[in-house]
Order: sequence, then structure tokens, then C-alpha cells
Amino acid sequence: MTKQFVFKGASEMPMISISLGHMDWNKTGTWRTQRPFYEDKTPPCSAACPVGNDIVAFIQKITQGDFEGAWNLIKEENPYPGICGRVCFHPCESKCNRRDYDEPIVIHALERFVSDFASNLNKKIEKVPGVRKEKIAIIGSGPAGMSCAYHLVKLHYDVTVFESSSLAGGMLRIGIPSYRLPKNVLDREISNIVALGVEIRTGIPFGENLKLDSLKDYQAIFIATGTHRSRGLHIPGEKGKSVFNGLDLLRKINLGNKVKLGDKIAIIGGGNTALDVARSVIRLGKKATILYRRSKEEMPAFEDEIVEAIEEGVKIRYLVNPIRIQQKDSLKRLECMRMELGEKDESGRRRPVPIPNSNFFIEEDSVIIAAGEEIEVSFLPKGMEEREGIVLTQRDGSTGIKGIFAGGDLVSNQRTVAHAIGSGKKTALAIDCYLKGKDSEEAIRQILIGEGPSISIFRHLYPDERPRNPHVVTFEELNTDYFEPSKRRRESKGLVKKRIKGFGEVTSGFTESITLEEAERCFSCGTCNGCENCYVFCPDASIIKTEEILSHQVDYDFCKGCGICFSECPRGAISLKEEAR
Amino acid sequence: MKKVITGNQAVAYGVILSRVDVISAYPITPQTTIVEELSELIASGRLNTRFLKVESEHSAMAALIGASTGGVRCFTATSSHGLAYMHEMLHWASGARLPIVMVNVNRAIAPPWNIWSDQSDSLSQRDTGWIQFYCENNQEVLDTILQAYRIAESIKLPVMVVLDAYVLSHTSEPVEIPTMEEVDPFIPPYCPEYPIDTQEPMAFSMIATPEHFLEFRYKIQKAMEQVPEIAKKVDDEFRSRFGRGYGAIERHGKEEAEVILMTSGTVTSTSRIVIRKLVGEGYSIAGIKIKRFRPFPSEEIYEAIKGAKKLAVIDRNLSAGVGGIFAQELRASLYSREERPQVFGFISGLGGRDITPELIEEAIQYTVEHPRPEEEILWLGLKK
Repeated sequence: MTKQFVFKGASEMPMISISLGHMDWNKTGTWRTQRPFYEDKTPPCSAACPVGNDIVAFIQKITQGDFEGAWNLIKEENPYPGICGRVCFHPCESKCNRRDYDEPIVIHALERFVSDFASNLNKKIEKVPGVRKEKIAIIGSGPAGMSCAYHLVKLHYDVTVFESSSLAGGMLRIGIPSYRLPKNVLDREISNIVALGVEIRTGIPFGENLKLDSLKDYQAIFIATGTHRSRGLHIPGEKGKSVFNGLDLLRKINLGNKVKLGDKIAIIGGGNTALDVARSVIRLGKKATILYRRSKEEMPAFEDEIVEAIEEGVKIRYLVNPIRIQQKDSLKRLECMRMELGEKDESGRRRPVPIPNSNFFIEEDSVIIAAGEEIEVSFLPKGMEEREGIVLTQRDGSTGIKGIFAGGDLVSNQRTVAHAIGSGKKTALAIDCYLKGKDSEEAIRQILIGEGPSISIFRHLYPDERPRNPHVVTFEELNTDYFEPSKRRRESKGLVKKRIKGFGEVTSGFTESITLEEAERCFSCGTCNGCENCYVFCPDASIIKTEEILSHQVDYDFCKGCGICFSECPRGAISLKEEAR
Repeated sequence: MKKVITGNQAVAYGVILSRVDVISAYPITPQTTIVEELSELIASGRLNTRFLKVESEHSAMAALIGASTGGVRCFTATSSHGLAYMHEMLHWASGARLPIVMVNVNRAIAPPWNIWSDQSDSLSQRDTGWIQFYCENNQEVLDTILQAYRIAESIKLPVMVVLDAYVLSHTSEPVEIPTMEEVDPFIPPYCPEYPIDTQEPMAFSMIATPEHFLEFRYKIQKAMEQVPEIAKKVDDEFRSRFGRGYGAIERHGKEEAEVILMTSGTVTSTSRIVIRKLVGEGYSIAGIKIKRFRPFPSEEIYEAIKGAKKLAVIDRNLSAGVGGIFAQELRASLYSREERPQVFGFISGLGGRDITPELIEEAIQYTVEHPRPEEEILWLGLKK
């Protein structure tokens, strides 16, 4: 407190009321009844990402032009950004708050750009020194197995991956055609994991050449063998000549083997495998017709795939169900029934019901059945429980057998690349906890993104770096006055005429300038990006810029708690709570 | 250089020649073209002045209060509702002793909606501590702005320069525009009394307890009392540099007159013709133009009306319940004097209705014929 002057009269007084010194002694912060504070929250994109990518953080790096920084952030959670950027069904974009404003951010294309940019840097990846003595065996080199291997090797474990096929990659290798996922992208991201010190032993089928007993040297085993058994239709004639199963056919095509097919092909099914088969045979110069027993709305295949397939000349016949396959001369004769949609089934989709006496015939040269895949249970060890088509595990991937974990498509009905990568990561953490005698459930709870189920292993490794409140920021919590409407950038696709002549990649990635433009559209929900609105608007000059993790702080000596910073923050990165007195 | 320009353009020239640093304004008819002109000059880079866009007149004045406290020369312009909206900030500008200059283009205040000339807007602000000048023609508008900065910065009080809607704001007249080289020595750079120094922070306009508040107001009154002398000095210097001067009031017509007609703004020009005609017809009549309304030129008026028996005042404004504001101020200024001529208070031309030579003659005739006004308010041209 400074002294107050008492003047004898006007002649002594200054012209205006003015202090003769500074007013810092007047700690106006004591007037405060509510306290603003910087607190990053969870953006809906990350909360929706099965991999657990810190999407807002890597997009911020992109906006700063720091693509390598973006790459380093993505790598913390996801070894497969080049793959996810191409084939993930991007639930992040479905939850993007920008969807409620104009159009969501094209997150997958940004991730793809960062991965492709990083691969062009040709940086040598150093081997992680494996200081821990425990050895871990991973069975299956699909996205779940490789993700688990990646995170375990980074935790300094000695990891060996066993793969039945001659090439690593699992379903990414044999199931996804190269026009969607070029083999060099897959090879590059697998080799990045191998470079860290993971050993992959291919050509060793589990259950045949590899028995569980022979893995006694390994202190933990992760089984991620996926779903490689095609589901049958259980109709007469499906085992006949010129009737193939979709996954086998894709495996042959993707491994470069010759396939012998007629010119006109019927594909039965409505999932991604059916679409992949249809688009692949079109590229082999055939005609493809998909027969699907429900309507377009119920089709489990990704929307983009359906659109691209139709562009490329694939015919889709909806509400048609084959009930018999007959041989007629060299042709296959399919007896089908027309269907209509009935009540909703357990999947939430309307159940197809045959229309009586609607039987009709379709004649094709070949028939391919792509009605879904199942897990192979024959080689599973005793003690692992299987129910309704999946292996039962705890949230952390542990099974009924101590030291044996399972993950990926084997344990879930959400059979996507992203879910598999997330499952592998979670299991890596669980195995780490198991071997160290720690409570994995508690470790997972600490690092859930939002309410989960995805986790951030970055937060496990660096618990003090940029903590986030699990609250998922809603559109209503943003101050959209500071955003201008803009259109989502589109990835360009090759001309259909050229596309169907081979297996080259259909979709081109973003250029650097489009990447920067698209990244600028990100609201950065719940995450301070240093826009300085708070700093500019604070009437008490009580926002202090710092070099710390949080780039701004409130000067509580003077902040009166007006809340302007809170309401003018465009992205909900400032919270306001009642002052405790 | 002589140019044929509107009153609003004359304002813009006055602002350019005064080397204003910061302009902040919000558009309102009939003021808009002033700010249009200035902002276009700034946007094209021809005028090196910072223009602050704001969302209201209240903010415009608030912004200038900040800028002026920071020690730079400021300008804004408004009309009618815009001025009313500024009201709180007008008190602040004078209380903080900031030499801001503002142009108000007189316009009626709604309802009923009306965009034409009427002095009610600026006269409603007579108690805000602003010096007020009313202009008769476009030349006077330009010249008064140049003088306003000199007066404001000497006295440390804000100045409002007032002109009639359309009759001046949108009507072109020949105006002599001085050069920058001529004006620069007349308006020296502004030096604030209490400059802001970020290394030595101070609080401005903080609380003054009952112990001191009265004395701060006393100081403002004392500053107002200096205006007649300083304004005269500035006007005299202006006259010697540019050959034109205005005074606080201006008397015209017969040298010794029984009846004196008092007007302000453009009504004066019309009344000059009427008075010249009536003097020619043998009437004992003169006119007084009141240019400075605040501080009210009581002394100057008392000197100028000596010998007159009756004073007629035409007010283009109404303080409902009392009458015309000029008449009211005039009566109050005469009360303690020995000679107290009758004051005839006429109300006319509200909401932009023309005050024609015939109406002015009617007012004079009434004053000549009546020993004292039959009513407190004499309505001129009222359709009953």
C-alpha cells in the first residue's frame, strides 16, 4: 500500500486524478470470485480415434510448418500413419466439431501427408537398445501384432513376431488391394518397426510349425492371428468348381499369384472384402456384380469404397440372396430370392426377409463368396475362452492363461485397422505392466483419452507433458465468432479409365500447400494454440506469456475474474471455476 | 486554394490540415461522408492517420479517450443518436481533460424518425463539459476545426464543432483551403500534460474521494472560464495568418438598435438578409450570431446588447417543459445584470423544416409590436 495524498486545496492538486507511482500494490486479484485457468481438454477427434492419435497436437505442428514435429507426435501413438492415412475409416472426422459448423477436417489426408513427408526425409532409424531381459513372442504380423511389437520394443523389450505367411503385414498385406494401400507404403512402415529391433520370422504358421510349448523362453505371448477364415453361405453348391472364397482370392492377387477366373463374376456379400474383390477383378479385366441381401444403407463397406467401386463399373444388386449355386455347362447358375427389410436385428440393421416365390436365376462364369470372415479357433490353447466368434479377454488383452494375451480382430467385432493398432498398443502396455508386476487396469485408466476406450501411451511415458482434462469439447463450447466458414479440401482421384487398368493407387495425397490450408481449418478444440485472444482481450493485462508447456498463464495477483478470456477463447482451452475462499 | 466543397468535406480538410493521429468513428447520417472521405484517404495511404474501426459511437469515443491519454491528437464525428450514445464517454473525455475534437452534424433525435437539421442533439450534451462552437458556413467549419485543436490543447478540454445537417453538411460552397505549410505553424504538435510511459506506470482517472472531487470540478470550471480569453487570442492569431476571424459572437445590422435578433448556425445567414431589408425600411434592428455556446458568451453578449430593449431568440431546438435552450441560457445570463431587456423565445425549424425569411420577419414584427412576449414559448410557423 502506498500513501494517499491529502491536498490543502485545488491550487496544489494535479489537473486530473492520477497516481504518482505505479498501482502494482493494488492486488485487484483479491476482488475475484471466479478463477480462469488454462486447461487443455480432449478434442472429439482424438476421443474417437481407436489408435489414440493426438490429432489436434499434430495438426498444430503442421500449421507451424513443422511436419517432422507432426511425424514425431504421431509416431508416439501410431507406427502406421501412412497406412491409416489411406485405409482408416476415420471416425475422427465423423466426430470433428467442424462438422457442425461446415465440414470436418480431412484428418486422414493430413496424417498421410505427414507420413509420406517423413518417409521422403530418409532418416535412418536407430535401433532401440533392448536393455530388458524379458523376451516376448507375438503371433501374427498384422496391425495388432506389429503395433504391439512397436510399443514393446520402444519399452526396451526383446520382441519376436511370428508370421505364417511368407510376407509380414497380415490382412494389410493379403486383404487390402494395393490400389488402396500400395505395398511400398506397407513395406516402409513395417521396416520402420523392424529397424527399431523387432525380429519378424515369416513362414511359420501357428499351430502347425509353431506350438505354444515351443515358446517357453518367452515371458509373454501376444496372439493376434486375426480373422482369416471365410464365412460360408451354407447353401448347396458353394463348394463347387469356379466358386471361390473372397479372402483366398484377394490373398492370391495381393501376393502376385496367378488367378484363373471367368469373365463375368458374381460376388456375394456387402462388406469391404466383397468390394475389394469386385474392384480387384475389374482390374483384371473382368465384369463384377455384387449381390447383397440388404439395401445400401445396411452395407458394412466404407462409403468411399462403394462410390469408387460404382465409378469403376462394379454393379451392385441389393436385396438379393443366393440360395443355390448350380453348374450349367461352363456357367454358374445362381438361384436367388428377392428380399425385403424386416425388423431390426441385434446389429441394429434391418433384417433381410425373403419374399416368397420371388426366386430367379443369375448366370455368371465365376462366383466369389465374400460374406465375412471368422477367427480360426483350432490352434487356440486350452484355457482361452471363445464366445460368439471372438476370444474373450480383459480390457488389457489378458486371457485366462497367465502370460498369454490376445488382441486385434481375434478379440473384437470392430474389425478395422485402427482398432487393431489400438488393441496392440493397449496390450503392449498390459504386457509391460504384467512383467513389472504393476496393475495394468490402473495404468490404462490413467491414460484413457476422454472416457476411452482409446489410450495415449505418450501420457504413460511422459505423464507431466500437456495434461488433458478428459472432458470432450462439444461444438457448443467453442466460440465460433473467430472462425470463417471454409470448404473441406478434397483429395484427387485418378481417372476411372486409368484406374481400372491396374493396381496403382487411386487417391493422391495432399500437396504441402493444401495440407497447410486444411490444417488451418482445425478448431484446435480444447487445446491452446497460442492464438492470443485471451492476451488481447484481458482488460487487466493479467495474461502472462511463458515459455512453459502451457504458453500462457493467468496473473492471479491482478486477474479480477471477469471471465472475458474464458468466453473469448475460441477453443475452450480456458476453464472457469468458482474461487475457493 | 479555393474549392467548392460540402460542409462535410470542409470537416475532412480541417482534420487533414490539423495532422490528426487517430480517428475513430461510426457512421450515421448525415455525418457519414466525413468519415467516408477520411477513411478512404487513409486506406489509399494518402493520409498517415490511424483509423480505428469500432462497433458503436460509445466505443469510438472510448477509443479516442485511450488514444488521447496516450498523447496523440484525436478526431471523431457523429450526429444525433450517435452523440446520445456517446454521452457517458463525453463526460469522461472532459473529466479526464482530454483535448479531443469532435464534429457533430446537427440532426433531430427520434422518434419520430428524422434525419434533418435540429440542434437538440448537441444541446442535450451542454452539461458534459465540452466546449461547443456552432458554424454558419463551410468556410467557418474548416476554420473552426483548426482553431478547435489550438483551444482544446491549451485549455485541456474537448471541443465540439457543430454544423447543420444538409444545409451545410451536404451543400457545396466555395471554401478557401489553407496549405499544410500555412497551418503547421498555427497548430504546434500536441504535448500531453501527463504522458504515458510504460516504464513508469501510473493510474489515470482513478477514484477521488469527497475530499477532492469538488476541487477537480472547480478546476474544470476555471478552465472553462479561460476559454473566452484563449479563444479570442487564437481567433486573433488566425485572423492575422489567414485573414478570417469569427469571435464568440458576431453583431450585424444597425449599430444602435431597439430590437436584436439572436440566431445560431445557418439561420444566421437567412436573418442577415431579413435584417438588412428591414433596416433599409427604417427598423431599429440588429442581429447577433452566437458561435460559441459553451462556455456561454455572457460577457460578450451583454456588451453587444447595450441599449437594446427587446431580444428575440430563434431556437432550432426544444427543451420540452422550458422552451428554447439558447433563450433559456440568455435569460439566465441576464438575470443578475442591471439592463435586462425582454427576451422573446421563438421555436422554429425543428426536424429540418426551413426557417424562411418570412418566418424570421414574422418573429421580428412580433417582437417590435409587443412590449413583452405573451407566452414563454413563441411558436414560429406552427400548424395548429
